[in-house]
Amino acid sequence: MSQMSETLTQLEKYAEEAGTKITPLRKNESLVEVVQDRLEPFLGHLVNDLQIRHLMTITGLDLGQNLGITYEFFKERDTIHVRLLVPKTKPQAASIVNIVPGAILYEMELQDMFGIEFIGNPWKDHKLLLPDEWPADLPPPLLKTTKADQIRRRLGLEAAKP
Amino acid sequence: MSTAPDQQRREESAGLMEYSTESLVPFGPIHPALKEPEYFKLVLEGERIINVIPRIGYVHRGLEKAAESRPWVQNMYMFERTCGICSFVHSVCYGQAVEELTMFQTPRRAKYLRTIILEMERIHSHLLWVGLMGHWAGFDTLFMWVWNDREVVLDLVEAIAGNRVHKSMNAFCGVRRDLPENMTDRIVERMRFLTDRARYYRDVIDTEETMLKRTENMGRVSADTVEKLCAVGPMARYVGLKRDVRFDDPYAAYDEVPLDVITTTQGDVHALLRLRLDELIVSANMVTYAVQNLPDGPIRVKIPPIIPAGEHSSHCEAPRGEIFYYAKSTGGRTPDRIKSRQPTMANIPTALEMLKGQTLADIPIVLTAIDPCFGCMDRMSFYDTETNHKWTWSGEQLRQYGINYYFPERAKKQRDIARKAAPAANQCLKEEF
Repeated sequence: MSQMSETLTQLEKYAEEAGTKITPLRKNESLVEVVQDRLEPFLGHLVNDLQIRHLMTITGLDLGQNLGITYEFFKERDTIHVRLLVPKTKPQAASIVNIVPGAILYEMELQDMFGIEFIGNPWKDHKLLLPDEWPADLPPPLLKTTKADQIRRRLGLEAAKP
Repeated sequence: MSTAPDQQRREESAGLMEYSTESLVPFGPIHPALKEPEYFKLVLEGERIINVIPRIGYVHRGLEKAAESRPWVQNMYMFERTCGICSFVHSVCYGQAVEELTMFQTPRRAKYLRTIILEMERIHSHLLWVGLMGHWAGFDTLFMWVWNDREVVLDLVEAIAGNRVHKSMNAFCGVRRDLPENMTDRIVERMRFLTDRARYYRDVIDTEETMLKRTENMGRVSADTVEKLCAVGPMARYVGLKRDVRFDDPYAAYDEVPLDVITTTQGDVHALLRLRLDELIVSANMVTYAVQNLPDGPIRVKIPPIIPAGEHSSHCEAPRGEIFYYAKSTGGRTPDRIKSRQPTMANIPTALEMLKGQTLADIPIVLTAIDPCFGCMDRMSFYDTETNHKWTWSGEQLRQYGINYYFPERAKKQRDIARKAAPAANQCLKEEF
């Protein structure tokens, strides 16, 4: 218990450095919103200094004007969501592969599903989940504005609909 | 000097241009017989694999998008169908993420019942995997024995939940079925039987030449690499990382049921075999404890169909490793966003590291070692970049190639028997028709 609070106390210090604060969601689950410029040093402290090395996944969110990229970290009962907001008009973020090498496939997944470009990801020119022949004029599928019917019609799949 | 088609081919294999003298082997994705399709681009130098690029998504059905237009309850049974082996853990994990958004608590008896089913699922998944390892190593007797024993645990699951694989037994804040009366003794007796069998199989894999030769010193990766690549489940524990959600962040009744986290520092495919068989024994003990100490009380609390606004995540230990669900509600009848991440996705970067340095003959055994949710051994097509020669192998041919590579004398013996038997068999056929 003391170990857990110690981790969070230290994290709070680094969060203040990054100009943000920790929002508790429930016991053992907290959210930190970080701006793009501060993300890399903040994650560097998180992974190297606090030894929170297990990245569970990266979650994409459609928040209307912005897209949310949530890095889900876990260490000893503490789940820490680190959220970065990027504008829909310029969906770009720096890749964190040099800090957490395990993030490579999660970034590719977000690139396919939300159209976010991760600068520095070595495989960013490849597709991971979407087919290679995915039409360029179709918007990324997990955006709220993209409807399943729209995808079906564009791919010529009306016949499959019951 | 490179010609125009050469140039074009190199451009197609973007990012691999620096390996101009090595062979590029497209691996997958169509496999008609075994589980799911998957595709890997393998770069070979002679027999050795030096680089691998994955391409997944052939069975991506857009569940996360579909979840946004379905009621919360329906999603539970949809996500249960994510996997055809470890289905229950998905509904538990999704359920827990949603339960956190409500004010309701899951009754203690329901938590125990969930634990019983989750551990039985782990036993059946691990047995399935040990059998498959036997099959790919060329030891089919093990495959048949293990899968026969797997029926024991599947029968128990069917007796409790009504179904063998897709139980549909979970509900928000509870379970839909109670343990039938007079089941306790039967479960305890069957668990004792499975423990004995697991001990026996452990002896088999430690002494049987086929398994030793195919698994020892295969797929070695350093613990540091595994930690950096964020591997989960047995793939983290086989190099000595104590990473188990049941222990790190207990859910269901794991804070009350005694649990040993098995780790090993041996760090090869043989260690994975031992580790999973040891875990099976631990799971059998946990099921025995849970049924003997099952608390009384209700099994379910009914909750309204509208979930309050908020966001939460949950993670659970599936047989293959950690699964993760994230749920976001805006206070409606349907979710705003559901994210699900499966253990195979987290383990692919580690599997790629394991493959590097292995030979072509080791692909089936090393890829199966991560207990992937895909099969994809069939229809491998090869081409040699130097001679432009193309050929195709089926999964069975690749399996046979692996066996012949390690046991050439056995393959010769089989060929001799087949050659002798052929005239007699032809004679029989002629007489019959």
